[in-house]
Amino acid sequence: MDGQHTLRSFRRLSVGTRLAIGLPVLSALVLATGLVSLRLGPVPINTLDVVWATLSTMGIDGPAVDRTAQLVIEQIRLPRIIVGAAVGMALGLSGTAMQGLFRNPMADPGIIGVSAGGAVGAVTAIAIGLVDLFWLALPAFAFIGAALALLLFYGIAAVGGRISMATLLLAGVAVNAFLGAVISAIIYLLPSEGPLREILYWLAGGLDSRSWDHVRIALPPIAVGAAALALTARDLNLLALGDDEARSLGVRTGATRTALLAASALVTGSAVAVSGSIAFVGLVTPHVLRLVLGPDHRVLMPMSALGGALFVMLADMAARTVIQPAEFRVGVLTAFVGAPFFVFLLIKNKRQVYTL
Amino acid sequence: MIPEKLRAWSLVVTLGLGLILTACTVPIPSTEDMQAAAEAAPRPELRDVPGIVDPDNTGWPRGVEGLNGVVDIPGQPARIITASIGHDEMAVALVPLERLVAVGAVSKDPTYSNVAGLLTDKPEISRDPETIIAQDPDVIVTSPYFPGEGIDALERVGIPVVQTALQHDPEARLDAILLMGYIFGEEERAAEFTAEVQQRYDDLVAITGTKNPRPAVLALTRYSDQIWVAGEGSTEGSVIEAAGGANAAVDAGISGNQTISLEGVIVMAPETIVIAQPVAFGAEQFKQDLLADPALAEVPAVKTGRIHIVDSKLFTTLSFWNIRGAEELARILWPEDFPNPSPEGFSRTE
Repeated sequence: MDGQHTLRSFRRLSVGTRLAIGLPVLSALVLATGLVSLRLGPVPINTLDVVWATLSTMGIDGPAVDRTAQLVIEQIRLPRIIVGAAVGMALGLSGTAMQGLFRNPMADPGIIGVSAGGAVGAVTAIAIGLVDLFWLALPAFAFIGAALALLLFYGIAAVGGRISMATLLLAGVAVNAFLGAVISAIIYLLPSEGPLREILYWLAGGLDSRSWDHVRIALPPIAVGAAALALTARDLNLLALGDDEARSLGVRTGATRTALLAASALVTGSAVAVSGSIAFVGLVTPHVLRLVLGPDHRVLMPMSALGGALFVMLADMAARTVIQPAEFRVGVLTAFVGAPFFVFLLIKNKRQVYTL
Repeated sequence: MIPEKLRAWSLVVTLGLGLILTACTVPIPSTEDMQAAAEAAPRPELRDVPGIVDPDNTGWPRGVEGLNGVVDIPGQPARIITASIGHDEMAVALVPLERLVAVGAVSKDPTYSNVAGLLTDKPEISRDPETIIAQDPDVIVTSPYFPGEGIDALERVGIPVVQTALQHDPEARLDAILLMGYIFGEEERAAEFTAEVQQRYDDLVAITGTKNPRPAVLALTRYSDQIWVAGEGSTEGSVIEAAGGANAAVDAGISGNQTISLEGVIVMAPETIVIAQPVAFGAEQFKQDLLADPALAEVPAVKTGRIHIVDSKLFTTLSFWNIRGAEELARILWPEDFPNPSPEGFSRTE
């Protein structure tokens, strides 16, 4: 009872106060997780060396660090952690936007078919052997697949000129079903079983062997998409009141929806391109944070970005260390943790989780 | 005096008549007689072969116990299908090619198959039971990866199916050859061939088995952006051991084939890295990336440039062909002990 009461009291605080408390707390958690993650791995590196190697990577000179330790931090762990944080941020934000837009707590970044489109692109690149010739083919194809899926989705949803929420939802179902069939067909038509393992692993989502190239690919579009989503937070709140009400309060509903969809597709497509399909982050993160912070998207958006980053970073840390020096798949761990936790939340907070 | 020429002719005629008379009095053995003779001559090498129900029964029908239970084979199969690449490679060494009526597409692909060149004209089967039934086989031997429903369907139409798991350890490799020889009614050829395979292995380990210390070797592949390492129990690991290397992944506690990060490679510190991946699937690029990665600069294999692309089909097959892989790797690890190239193939497989 005390916990529920504290939560209710917290949710009644002003947006500014909630952000003033929440942002530093989550930022500190993300930073701490990043540092612990930098410290852990098959190559033993002491904490001081981790700190100095990280600072050195950022251009801040300090005491000399063992060359191998420096290279492991600089070339292996740091880019991987940054990619993980960016992917988590993208999925958390996109999940929040989709749940707000569809006014449906079951919505996630996959609902508009962008994840499935990315998967079709990646599976195609693997199946035709392009990834073995040119590493950039995989993220490039995944991104193109995600973009084409968005066009398909929007093309279906916009038939007749007016976009209703029901049409959007059904268009998403149709696109996902179609793209799922495309993936099955590609797998079925593989001339040999060689690429099958690659496809399965990609579909399970992971962050192994992420480099600064992946950071360069993912970070700019995720930053642009995140900024766009943050700007729509107020309008998303008003859309929750219904279209007529939102319009009367000055929201251009059609344009806002289009902007939300495009920005979500951009961040999700970028995330999928560098990590494969990492499940449950976009679904669980907004849920958990909504329970704590309330449904206001001006608070929820930035906090979901940090929450998503934290979730993926923790999952990746576990994936790197539980069976080291071998690795586990991050997407499998997020689903393992996310699914039961999600069910627990559903049972424990039946009423609250459906209040958007 | 009988002229010399006439005497020679009379000798030839007498010998000829003698041979004809002998042929008329000695009966030609019938199939039944051959079967009976075989039954009367049990083969001791079959005694401890897992899967042979009654090693003393060298006649027909005969029973074998596969992963799918005991299977009766009514007579010597004339039309054989071995629906896995490892089984195909063994069947080629055991029976005349015309008795293999069809093979899987992978067995005809030289990227994966060590006997692709011998199978180019064979019809292809898939996992769809109908494609197999269409070939009217007398027996099918397949691996655990063949779907159970498919085996049920084939058994329902009366085709004996024997599902066996192939292993990479030396004893199991010989047992697999003997079991397949027994299934095909080619016990003699199987005995002869196991002796050949055993000899090749013995010749190799006579040298590599004495090596101490053994260099740390890592078998790596990279498919898309995942790096795979072969650990304990892997086929590549058995090849490394037979070649006189120590599998660095085993020491790191890795079992089977697992994904690792570059950091894992640093920790395992291999002295030699073998890339058991087809060049067409990016092996050369992977090698160059390993050599160029600054994070790996201190790894002994990278430092000395001992990164070798090897013929992946010799390192991943579950047939006797992985002895060839070990022979190749031994020449990389111990060039002074193996100055000559290893023999290209095995009898009947070239």
